[in-house]
Amino acid sequence: MAFSVGNPVNTALMLYIIYRVNSILFPPVKPPTAIPHDFRDGYSWMPKSHPPTMLYKAATFALLRFIALTTYTPKTLAPFNGVNGQRILLAINGVVFDVSRGRNFYGPEGMYANFAGRDASRGMAKQSFDEEMLTDIDRPLDKLQDLTPSEIENMNGWIDHFSSKYTVCGRLVNEDEV
Amino acid sequence: MPLSSYVVTDDLTVLLGLSAAALFLLQNLYKPQPLIHPILLGRQSDVAPVRNPRESAVYRNYSTSAMGRLPLRPAAGIQTVLDLVRADVDSPRTLWSTKITNTQLLARVKACASGIDKLGKFQAGESKVLFLLNDGLDFLIADLAFAAKSITTMTISSPELLAKVLDNHPPSAIITDVVFLPHIVEQIYDIDQHHHTTVIVVGDPGSVGAKLAKEMDLLKFSDIEKEGASDPVDLSPPTDVNHVFTIAFSKTPSGTGFQAVQFTQQNLTAGVAATRSLLPVSSPFTPLDTIVSAFSLSTPYGRTIAYTAVYEGTCLATLNSAQIFTGNEGVRLDAPGALEDINSSSTFPIPSPTILFVKPEHVISLTSSILNASSSGSWLSGWGWRHKVAHAIEGFITKESLWDRFVFDAARVKVLGEGAGTLRALIATGGYTPAETLTPARIAFSIPYVNAVSSDLACGPLFASYPHDLQIHPSSEEGGEFENIAHVGAPTISLEVKLVSVDDVAIEEGKDPIGEVYVRGPPAGTLLGENNQKGENWLPTGYRGKVQPNGCFKVVPQNK
Repeated sequence: MAFSVGNPVNTALMLYIIYRVNSILFPPVKPPTAIPHDFRDGYSWMPKSHPPTMLYKAATFALLRFIALTTYTPKTLAPFNGVNGQRILLAINGVVFDVSRGRNFYGPEGMYANFAGRDASRGMAKQSFDEEMLTDIDRPLDKLQDLTPSEIENMNGWIDHFSSKYTVCGRLVNEDEV
Repeated sequence: MPLSSYVVTDDLTVLLGLSAAALFLLQNLYKPQPLIHPILLGRQSDVAPVRNPRESAVYRNYSTSAMGRLPLRPAAGIQTVLDLVRADVDSPRTLWSTKITNTQLLARVKACASGIDKLGKFQAGESKVLFLLNDGLDFLIADLAFAAKSITTMTISSPELLAKVLDNHPPSAIITDVVFLPHIVEQIYDIDQHHHTTVIVVGDPGSVGAKLAKEMDLLKFSDIEKEGASDPVDLSPPTDVNHVFTIAFSKTPSGTGFQAVQFTQQNLTAGVAATRSLLPVSSPFTPLDTIVSAFSLSTPYGRTIAYTAVYEGTCLATLNSAQIFTGNEGVRLDAPGALEDINSSSTFPIPSPTILFVKPEHVISLTSSILNASSSGSWLSGWGWRHKVAHAIEGFITKESLWDRFVFDAARVKVLGEGAGTLRALIATGGYTPAETLTPARIAFSIPYVNAVSSDLACGPLFASYPHDLQIHPSSEEGGEFENIAHVGAPTISLEVKLVSVDDVAIEEGKDPIGEVYVRGPPAGTLLGENNQKGENWLPTGYRGKVQPNGCFKVVPQNK
């Protein structure tokens, strides 16, 4: 069973083994000279471009805001609960968010369906989804006066979260303030 | 001859075939796994979708945006600076030269606060006390005691600023070390303030003090504490977190004049929250750690590090270079000086350091010493280096590999002393680490290495790189001021950053935004004399920065 160079299969295998052992014992150390643009191409990668940012042009925004911000009352907000495939809206502290993208949560079969089309401020502050957190549509909006500072902070935290995740599309006021 | 007579297989073939297969599997399956998945390194800051003209978008740390709000404190319930001394964590630890528990520390603070009350010289909310103390437990106790009494403390980052500060903002009292006392007295006499200013001395002023006490109001700090120990004050009514707790005077980034930055207690707790986030979540600060810092307590960053140590219950010491008020020239951080400086922490009776907060000069000098020691110490060092670099390219590094045991551990012990094995994290703050020292430093230490930037305008770091980030980017052909500097990562968790005076056209074309760095957030203080009615609160840091597509920043001081 001696190794003879004349045997091509054995030679090929032997060369392959020598090559592998060499790369295990003496691994390559040159970092890549071209920066890979995908994480699968290399560890030291860099995305190809910056995340897109839009330049704020004051006039455009004022126009958009004028068009897009509607005033809702508890009665006009209530239909927007996603039941018949329409948009799902909810309000926190007078700001109305369009949460249609979160249909799984806020839609008719969702965990937080209670909040759809309603003022969710108290529920957000007290971290509860109970029916008691909601004020009846016929009654004036919950003034939230008995909330503790930490509950108000919690509610503001939710407003930040909703502002970054969903779009603001209006404000919620009482019937007589329209 | 037919082909089959060439393809002769025998037992040797089988053996070789099996070995080849085994080697193939070995190499492919036992590839080192990166310490952090590279996909996470591609998006380290969260970018706002809209930007103002001539400004970049607002950048925040990516993990902050998941939380939604900039953290104001390290944990719920830590409202004031005194809350950072947690009474429920009570194991003894050594702060500089004193072994003390949190309960004992609070007792001393209460005694000191009561002594200050008894002096009757200070009015809460109005009086200011100038701290010209070197780092030590007395600094912390005095700081906490004055904070408990709502008396603002002032610190200066360099003795050169003393004259200007005494002129423009005369304090009701000055607290200083015995060593620096003669200099103070000179200055006070110069400006004829010696009748209005009380001088409190830490340590024993001896006969000099006795002579001075006849002409001016000179008190001993230990006397104040002793007086108050008989009926320590009750600290339960908490002070207002928005009360200005300290004013830090430092040189402006352009080098002319000085800037005064006010910090409230909330700024400091937010800074502590940011500093805690420097270490990876899997290995945070614990009471078993020992922190050694090169930053003086008279700077906001050094103060924040010290309070983080107090909060986490770790041992703490500062290096010689952080002692500002000695009356001598400061410590020079050139190559041999930096090494000596690091080893100066061994004069304190602390356990061997586990976490170092140092400057890039220290890192550069330590790295070259360790690598020189390793190459002269062992013939395997070149081979070990090669393996470690190969692993680092894949994103993996460890202190426990075979190569460390044979080659690098001995070198580390030679340079850092017996305690080299305990070191587990290195945080270099300064922002000007050269890119070419990054890989050698990472390999020489083989521990999580954080590159950070601080400023005298904010408590805690401004930017910090991710500790397990081992990426190496080749320099591009463009060159420029940012070329040879290592990146400093994303903004820390409590801050928002934007670049001002950027080239709009270049950004729209997709190039990296370059501009002046402005910050905003809970740890940032406010400049004295400015009111915040403008509402925007953006502070110029004096750095110029560039953002990479993965959200990491590179910064240089503005006027170099």
